[in-house]
Amino acid sequence: MIELKNVTKSFDGKNKVVNNLNLKIEKGEFVVLIGESGCGKTTTMKMINLLEKPTKGEILINGESVKSKDVKDLRRNIGYVIQKVGLFPHMTIGENIELVPTLNKWSKEDKKERAIELLELMDLPGEDFYDRYPSELSGGQQQRIGIARALAVNPDIILMDEPFSALDPITREKLQDEMMKLQDELGKTIVFVTHDMDEALKLADKIAVIKDGKVIQFDTPEEILKNPKDEFVEYFLGKDRMWKTPEMLLARDIMKKKFGKIGINGSPARAIEIMKDREINTLIVVDKEGVSRQKPVGVVTRNMIMKNTLHSVKMKDIMESSNDFMVHENTNMVEVLNIMSKINFRSIPIVNDENFLVGAVTPVSLLNVITEISPTIEGGEL
Amino acid sequence: MNKLGFFEFLKYRSADIFKLTGQHIRITGIAVLLAVIVGVPLGIYITKNKKVSNAVLNTANVFQTLPSLALFGLIIPIMGIGFKPAIFVLFLYALLPIIKNTYIGINSIEPSIIEAGKGMGMTKAQILTMVEIPLALPIIMGGIRISTVINIGTATIAALIGAGGLGDFIFKGISMSNNNMILAGAVPTALLAISVDFILGILENKLTPLGVKSN
Repeated sequence: MIELKNVTKSFDGKNKVVNNLNLKIEKGEFVVLIGESGCGKTTTMKMINLLEKPTKGEILINGESVKSKDVKDLRRNIGYVIQKVGLFPHMTIGENIELVPTLNKWSKEDKKERAIELLELMDLPGEDFYDRYPSELSGGQQQRIGIARALAVNPDIILMDEPFSALDPITREKLQDEMMKLQDELGKTIVFVTHDMDEALKLADKIAVIKDGKVIQFDTPEEILKNPKDEFVEYFLGKDRMWKTPEMLLARDIMKKKFGKIGINGSPARAIEIMKDREINTLIVVDKEGVSRQKPVGVVTRNMIMKNTLHSVKMKDIMESSNDFMVHENTNMVEVLNIMSKINFRSIPIVNDENFLVGAVTPVSLLNVITEISPTIEGGEL
Repeated sequence: MNKLGFFEFLKYRSADIFKLTGQHIRITGIAVLLAVIVGVPLGIYITKNKKVSNAVLNTANVFQTLPSLALFGLIIPIMGIGFKPAIFVLFLYALLPIIKNTYIGINSIEPSIIEAGKGMGMTKAQILTMVEIPLALPIIMGGIRISTVINIGTATIAALIGAGGLGDFIFKGISMSNNNMILAGAVPTALLAISVDFILGILENKLTPLGVKSN
C-alpha cells in the first residue's frame, strides 16, 4: 500500500507543483494519475521512488516512510517505466532486462531464465530477441522490453510515466490491452500517469484527477463518469464522454424500475388492461404476482395476445420464454443493445445475481439515456 | 649531397629517419597520453558541474588558439628547452579536443536513458561506468584521434626547442636549403599522421557498441 500524506513539492520555494496532496493506493490497485501538463502528476509519481524529494509531507510504502529506506534499494524494488522507454542502446535486450538483477548480483543462469520468461510474458520470442539490440526493435516492442525490464525482480509496485503516449494509436491500444491482461495475471500495485482520459478510463481501477498539485477527485472510472465532482473534472472528461464510451453505462443505469409486468397465470384480458393503462405493447411475465422478489420467465406482446384472446389461456401458454435474453444488471449498454437487436421484443428483463427481476430496459428507458448523455449539438437539439 | 635523389637520400639517412621518427612518436605519444589522463576525467567532471564547464572549456580553447610557434617560445623562459617543455606544450594542445569530446559525448546521451538508470536504482558511479562512458566512448575516442593527428604535425615544431623528432630534418633542411632533407622530415610525418589516424579509426570503430553501430 502506498500512502501520500500532505505531500508538497516546490522546486523554487515559491510555486508549489504538488500542494498538500493526499492519496491512498491499496495493494494490487491500478491507479491512474491524470491531469493537464504541469498539474504535478508526474512529480507526484516521481516522489514515490524519490526521483523527486518531497519538500513537505510523508510518503509511506506498507507503512514505512520512503525516506527511511536506502534510495537504491527502494528504486530497485519499484518498477519504473517511462514514456521514452530509455533502453540502454549499447546493451542487448537481454542485458537491458537483466539490469536490476545484474545490480543485485544474480547468477548468469538465473538472469537469463528470468529474461526469457519475461520476454515470453510480453509476447515476444525470447530466444530470438535476447541477443538483439534495442535499435532493431519497433517503438511498441521497445516499450514491451521497458515493461519487462521493470518486472525483472518482480517488484510489488510499478510506476509508469505516460508509457504509451509516444506510440501510434494502434500499437498504443494493443499495449493497453496487454497491460490489462498482465495486470489480471500479476496483480501489481501500479501508479500510472497519463493525460489521456480514454486510457485512464480503460486501464484504471481508480483515477485520481489532479489539478494545481491537488487531487480533485479519486474514484473508480464509473463513479468519475457518472458523478464528476466539479466542472474541471467534467471538462476534463469531455461533455460527450458517455456518448463515446457507452460500455461504461451498465444495464442498471439505463433500466426502468417501473414497467409493465404480469404474473405467469395472468389472463389475456388483464394483460391488455395493463398495456392500455401504461400505453405500452410489451409486458414482462414473472413467476409470482404480488411478491417483491420475482423472477422473470418471459415476455408477451400485444400481437401475441391478440392471436389468443380465449379466456382460458394463461400467459405461460402464449409468452415467449426469456431464458435466452435475461440480462444481468452489470451488462454494459453496448451488449444490451446487441441483445435487443437480435430478438423481436422491445423490452428485456434485467436481473440481479440471484436472477431476481430488478428492472427492464425498454425503448423509453433507452431514449431517456440517450437524451441525457448525448452531446449538445450546436444550433439544434437531438 | 644535394645532388642525391630523394630516395637515395632516404636510404642514406634511413638510420637517422628511424631515430627521429621514434622520437617523434615518443613525444606525441606521451603528450597525448597525458592529455587523455587529464582530459577525460576533466571532461567527465564538467558534465556533472555545469558551472565550471564554461571556464574549463574556455581555458582549453585559449591554448588551442595560441599559435604553436609562440607557445613553444613562451615556454622556454619557464621550462627551458628539450624534451619536457615540448611535451608540456603538446599536452596543452591535445587537451581541448579530448575535454570537449568527452563533454559532448556524455552530454549528448538521451536524458531518458539516464533517467531510466536512476529510476532503476543505479548509483551515480554505475551510471557513469555502465552507461555514460560506454555510450560516449566513440566520441571520446574521436577526440583522442583528432588530438593525436594534430599533435603529430605540431610536434615537428618541437624540434625548435631541442626536443628532436622529425622536425629536426625539416628545420635543418630549411636552413641548408636542402629540399630532400625537408621532405625526409615532412613525408614521414605525414605518413605517420595518416597511419595513426587509420589505426585509431579502426580502434574507434571497435569501441563503438554494437547496438549503437547498427543505428
